[in-house]
Amino acid sequence: MSVPTRLSTAISRQAARQTLPAVRAAPLGVQQQKRTRADASTSHAEFNSPFTRGTSGKKDTTVIPSFKKYRSGSETNNKVFQYFMVGAFGGLSALGAKNTVQDFLVNMSASADVLAQAKVEVDLASIPEGKNVIIKWRGKPVFIRHRTADEIKEADETKWESLRDPQADSERVKKPEWLIMLGVCTHLGCVPIGEAGDFGGWFCPCHGSHYDISGRIRKGPAPLNLEVPEYDFPEDTSLVIG
Amino acid sequence: MSGVLGGIYNTVIRSNGVFLSAIFVGAFATNLAFDTGSNALWDSINRGRQWKDIKHRYMESEDEE
Amino acid sequence: MLARSGLRTARAFGSARTSATRNATRNASTQSEGAASWKNTATLSASTALAIGSCTFYYFQFGRSVHAMTPAEEGLHATAYPWEHEKFFKTFDHAALRRGFQVYREVCASCHSLQRIPWRALVGTMMTVDEAKALAEENEYDTEPNDEGEIEKRPGKLSDYIPSPYKNDEAGRAANNGALPPDLSLITKARHGGCNYIFSLLTGYPEEPPAGAVVQSGLNFNPYFPGTGIAMARVLYDGLVEYEDGTPATTSQMAKDVVEFLNWSAEPEMDERKRMGWKVMAIGSVLFAMSVWVKRYKWSTIKTRHLQYNPPVAPGKMNPRQSRR
Repeated sequence: MSVPTRLSTAISRQAARQTLPAVRAAPLGVQQQKRTRADASTSHAEFNSPFTRGTSGKKDTTVIPSFKKYRSGSETNNKVFQYFMVGAFGGLSALGAKNTVQDFLVNMSASADVLAQAKVEVDLASIPEGKNVIIKWRGKPVFIRHRTADEIKEADETKWESLRDPQADSERVKKPEWLIMLGVCTHLGCVPIGEAGDFGGWFCPCHGSHYDISGRIRKGPAPLNLEVPEYDFPEDTSLVIG
Repeated sequence: MSGVLGGIYNTVIRSNGVFLSAIFVGAFATNLAFDTGSNALWDSINRGRQWKDIKHRYMESEDEE
Repeated sequence: MLARSGLRTARAFGSARTSATRNATRNASTQSEGAASWKNTATLSASTALAIGSCTFYYFQFGRSVHAMTPAEEGLHATAYPWEHEKFFKTFDHAALRRGFQVYREVCASCHSLQRIPWRALVGTMMTVDEAKALAEENEYDTEPNDEGEIEKRPGKLSDYIPSPYKNDEAGRAANNGALPPDLSLITKARHGGCNYIFSLLTGYPEEPPAGAVVQSGLNFNPYFPGTGIAMARVLYDGLVEYEDGTPATTSQMAKDVVEFLNWSAEPEMDERKRMGWKVMAIGSVLFAMSVWVKRYKWSTIKTRHLQYNPPVAPGKMNPRQSRR
């Protein structure tokens, strides 16, 4: 289609007398061709028409000029370049899409103020041996018990294999002196009372569940032991819950 | 030249599966490289302005106390 | 044909004429060149004048922006300062933020609250964890109700917000002759002119109000404040605070630091936003350029295609087109 256009331009370029419109990869072949001819006929001076053969100055449209300038070097080059461009385009799009999705997901996760309150730090030095402390953590009470040596011994020696929710005391504490549990009865969610009940641990006033000094259910309707939250001792005298 | 490109064409592009996985691996690598590069550029533009640049002053004085 | 010649005459009369009159001339000339001509012209001119007039009336009545105050009462327009942190590729200067927070804490905090900033926000932007913790613990906060339902006091934690100087807005008004000191968390976004306005306001108190200016008792003169009478007196004086990094605490230095700090408190995400933004722009522009290339590549075969239809010639009949040629 645009062959004649290209052709004429190419040759007139070679003639180094370029006043012709530059070639665009445009589909307006016919029009441009006309324009080219018009230009060729109106321009003065020594214009060598691309369609002229020899010196006669007579137009001869049967001459097929060389397209070498516009022919690619090799097919492989072209293919690799095209596939590279398309592939890189796809790859960059994938990169952008991944980051967009990721940013939206991050945006939906817990915000900084929630995260800041998700952890509670407790100073253990102020809790004497044999005392209960209740603190609030994420809206729930947490029991912290500084157990005495007798209580540790008692919790350890209980035959836990036959209990309703069998669990050894060592599984429930990180340091035997410190028992940390969520203060929510596993039956219907009341808050048990400390240092009460038949087993020297906790007693739920709502429906009469008895927990022992390791927070295990011993008697009453509750099905499970008191839950142990995640906690850590960053230093000897401080505790971080959460 | 053509030999190298031909090799690339035959190994990477010809099989669609290999080409696709090359694109994704390339995207991953580009992501890493671009992030590293652009962050480094950002930090060099803003040298001395960000907290991590001035943090050491206050951290050191903490230790002395 | 007649109409066309009329148009030509009208054009010849000059380009100053409106198209309406041009039409009128044309219309007139299509009829006999006599009595009807001036009537048409008059009608069209009158209706044009009426249309323009009613538009003008409507604009003057309802279209203009309404000013409650005179320009003088709006306050002096703040000077545009070349803030370093407002440039596209610049973060906040965090050393300045630290100084600015010191100014806020030692000067502004006695009247102005900063309710939306928690102590934890200071960590990693201008303070270490321990410094922020120590500052937070200087303040007391209400606990949740204990077993007896009593509310007790506890030292502050990092997750607490910076306390206000007054219990509530009413207390703030009562302590300041009825003028409530605004919360400063979002003040650079909340005031026209942003950083420039606040800097100009802080540094713009004259020694004495200019002659002729009326200043109510209890108010101070500041040309940048809308109405020029501001309840806040000049607070920043040279050497008011002592910067720990040795920066000379001049009035303008303190004002600049505290303005940058207040800009941070209004937009704590700015550093990250700018960094993300220019990355997105970089990737996006490359992506756009490539998409243009790929589009042209994929469409090149279609765009350079030539469809030609040669209708079959029915036997015995000539193609009408061919015959015409």
